[in-house]
Formats: sequence, structure tokens, C-alpha cells
Amino acid sequence: MPESVIRTFDKAGRRASVVGAVRMSAGVYINFAKKSFERQLAYKFEYFMGVFNGLLFIFIFTSLWESIYSNPAAAAVSSFDRRSIISYAVFAMIIRISMTMEDSYTVIKVRTGAISMDMIKPVNYFAMCFSEMIGLSMYHWFTRALPLVAVSLALFDVTMPGRLSNYALAFVAWILGYLIMFMINFLFGLLAFWVIEVFSFQLMKYGMFTLFSGGILPVDFFPDWARPLIDFIPFQYVLYVPTSLFIGHVEGSQALRLIGLQIVWVAALSVGCWWMWTAAHKKLVVQGG
Amino acid sequence: MSEFGIYLKMIVTSIRAKMEYRLTFVFTFFALVVFYLGQLGVILIMLSKFKSIAGWTIGEIMFLYGLMVFSQGLTTVFFASLNDFESLIINGDFDRFLVRPLDPLTQILSSRFEITSMAHFFIGSTALYFGSTYAEVEWTFFKVMFFPLALLGAVLIQGGIRLAVSAVAFWTLRNRALVHTAVYSSKEMIYYPISIYKLWVQYFLTFLFPLAFVNFYPSHYFLNRGSSDLLFHPVIQFMTPVMGLMVFAAAYAFWKAGIRNYQSAGH
Repeated sequence: MPESVIRTFDKAGRRASVVGAVRMSAGVYINFAKKSFERQLAYKFEYFMGVFNGLLFIFIFTSLWESIYSNPAAAAVSSFDRRSIISYAVFAMIIRISMTMEDSYTVIKVRTGAISMDMIKPVNYFAMCFSEMIGLSMYHWFTRALPLVAVSLALFDVTMPGRLSNYALAFVAWILGYLIMFMINFLFGLLAFWVIEVFSFQLMKYGMFTLFSGGILPVDFFPDWARPLIDFIPFQYVLYVPTSLFIGHVEGSQALRLIGLQIVWVAALSVGCWWMWTAAHKKLVVQGG
Repeated sequence: MSEFGIYLKMIVTSIRAKMEYRLTFVFTFFALVVFYLGQLGVILIMLSKFKSIAGWTIGEIMFLYGLMVFSQGLTTVFFASLNDFESLIINGDFDRFLVRPLDPLTQILSSRFEITSMAHFFIGSTALYFGSTYAEVEWTFFKVMFFPLALLGAVLIQGGIRLAVSAVAFWTLRNRALVHTAVYSSKEMIYYPISIYKLWVQYFLTFLFPLAFVNFYPSHYFLNRGSSDLLFHPVIQFMTPVMGLMVFAAAYAFWKAGIRNYQSAGH
């Protein structure tokens, strides 16, 4: 990413400040993340509603699977048993919450024209955006996801996985899944450079994410004919893979294969982001700028 | 001009304002359909794999979902302007409605006519059509007569909830987090038959937060499900319109109390 910034800023004749930006320590970006974390602390009621919301969704889906699996015929046709599907429902929702991001970040900046100020600043926009999201997500990690783990262990029939390898694999898969989610959001945000009504595109993204990410429905349950399609789009690598590795639904070489595919997607999306950011930069027309 | 004429004019104006952006309208419609197909897809794949949820087959669940989404669309037509009620309060814009010689609530409701709910109608009626075909619903005279009444009740329940949640902002100024939970997240509970939940939750959804009347109870009648998974006397299948009136009356009283208590944010 730094190269693209140098090149684009060259055009604006700001070479000197940009070279400085690339050398700038990670301190700036850590500060972006810290500030974005702290901003969230201001809203206490929102916080409790947020935790309650997470609990509500966990409750809905554990109830749903309990009900479906109370029929012995259901368990017989599934690659999950009753215990593992309950764990899946709980941890998929918690991982989803731990990845909370603001997906209209770029859209708002383009609409208000603030994007032009960000381009003048001697920072890499992609890295700035990423560190803001990390700050926000870390907030949700510590204040919503972790408490929900504790509450879920008390309320629902789940236990933490016993083997260390599950945690290690899931940790790697979480980071890669997070990167994939972030870059998908970043790409959709950049659409704001071309279209005013980005919200419609985001609605379509939400729809596909609901169906294909494995947040509600593990991709194992899709009919065989749909599997090639699901393997061809990035959504399952965001939630299904980290969740399955965490609860031990996928193990061994199969787990490593999925992590490998996540890496492929991270690489592909990085190229996509770089390419689209360069194009967006050329296109930039700030309203009232 | 009669009072009703003024409201009608406001509604027509807001529709025309929306139609100014015809391409946006068409595109938003299409996007919403994709969004709801994602939700419906989850339910359909689940059912094609496991055949039934709490004894409800694929057609019955589609009917349940269709009734929910269709009535939600109808609710949105009338109550969408309340979605962002807190900004009216925070920016002091609510004061403008108070100084005019018309009822503030009716003014607000007719200030925005949400035409994108066409997508809800499209998805809702598609689900209802296929649902009643697969579940082999027999549309008797009384069912056809009761259907609009059930819809009306469902709209009053959901509209009443939106109104009550908005009225909270008279005291707290902010209510966005509450809107999110009480209006949007909560409806996910009734995509599935409420008999999947623990007993106390079924009671909660029947008496305290009566979303079960939106689709679960009336569906029993339309689908001839009998009373196998009803906790109460079968007459509850027909209670949606009554419940709707009760919820809306209570919400309106709460709204009135809120206005009496209202002190402008000061601008």
C-alpha cells in the first residue's frame, strides 16, 4: 500500500511529506486505533443494549438448533451433533460481534468531503481506515465478545475447547477472516467515489453475508450443487472457518487447507483494494471541495 | 382545505419527492429483495436439510415468514418516519410540529411515506403465495375475510411498538439503541415458530411484547394447524386485531404522556 500512496501523492506534488509518512512510525496508527476505541466508551446505554442484542441472537439460534435436533432424524443427516451445533451457534455469533466494523466510514468521508483532508494528511488512507476499525473491533472484543463468552458458558450448554491447537488455529483464522471482512468493506466503501447511493450495494452485501458467511448456517448444510459457488466467494472464510476451527469441527490437514485458502483470499483482495484505491484516487471529485 | 386533505397532500408530496430519484428507487428495491432473499435462503436451506422446524414444514414456515415480512412492509409505509425520531428531538425539529395547529403525530407520520416497502410486499407476497401453495392452504370465505383483519392487527402491534419506543426519546433524548433492539433485532425471533423457545419466552412474546400475534397465532388459523403447539385456548388464533388495538392504544397513551413531559432540547 505505501507505494500507491507515494505515487498518487506524487501527482499532487507532495512528495516530501509522503516520504515522511511512509517512514512515520506505527505510533500514528496505534493512536487512530486507540481514539476509535475510546470514542465508544462514551455510550453506556448503547453498550448494554449491544450486549443484550448479542445474547438475544445467541438465544434465538441455540433455541432453533435445540428444537431441530430434538428430532433424532435431524442429527442423522447432519455433520454436526447436537453439542457441536450449539457450540457453533454460540461462537459464530460471538466471533461475528468481535469483528464489528463501521462499514460506512469511507462513504461518509466522501459524502462530506472530509476525504480530501485525509488525502492531504501524510498517512496511508488504507492503514488509517484499518487502524480505526481495529480500534472499534477491539472495543467490541473486550466489552461485548468476552463478556458474552462468560455469560454463554453459564447460560447455554457449551464448553470451551480443551485443546490448545484449536485456539492457535482459530486465532490465525480470526485474523485472516478479519482482514477479508475489512477489505470487502473497504472495497464497498470505495464505491462511494462512483455512486452516491452506496447503501443499496451494502444491503446486497449484507444479504449475501447472512446467507454465505456461516454466521447462522454452517456451509456444510448447503446442498452439494451449491458448494462450488460457496467455495468461489469469500464470505465463508470470514465466520465459518474461524468458528469451525475453534470448536474443532474441522481439524488437521483440512484446517490447514482452509487457512491456506484464507491467505489466497487475503492476497487477492489486497490486490483488489490497491487497484480500486488507485482508480478512486484518479476519479476523486469532492462535493464542494 | 380539510384536515384530511392536508395530510393527503403531505403524503403525495413525499411520494413525489421519492420518485424524483427513480433510478435510486428501482435500485434500492432490487437491493432490498437481494437482502431478504439472503434471509429467506437461510430458512429454506435449513428446511431442505432438516425437513421441519418444531413440526412446521417448509410451506408453513414460508407462510409464517411471508406474513411477517408483508405486515412489516405495511407497517413501514405508515411508521417509517419514526425510525429516526431521536434526531427530531435532538435537533429541536420536533418543536416545529408542536406549533402547527394539527396533531403532531399525524404530521410526522405523513411527512415520510416509505415507498421502498414495495420490496417487503414483493418478498412477503411471494413467500405467502408459495407458502400457501406448498402447505395446501384452503382459502375459505372466512379466511379471506380474516386475512386483512389479521394484517391490520399485525400493523397496529408493530406500529404501536415503534410509537412506544419513539416516545421514550421524550425522556431520554436518545433512543437509537432501543429502536435497534425493539424494532429490528426482536423481529428475528418470529421468523421461526415461537414454540422453539422456552415457555417463559413464549409467554413474554404473547403478553408483554406480543409479537407472536403478528404471525404465529394467526398462521394457526390459516394453516389449519389445530392447537397442538398453542399454549392457550384456540380462540387466540383470532385475537390479533384485538391485541393490535390494545397495543396501539397503550402506545398512544404513552406517547401523549411523553409529549406532556417534553421539554425542548433548546435551539
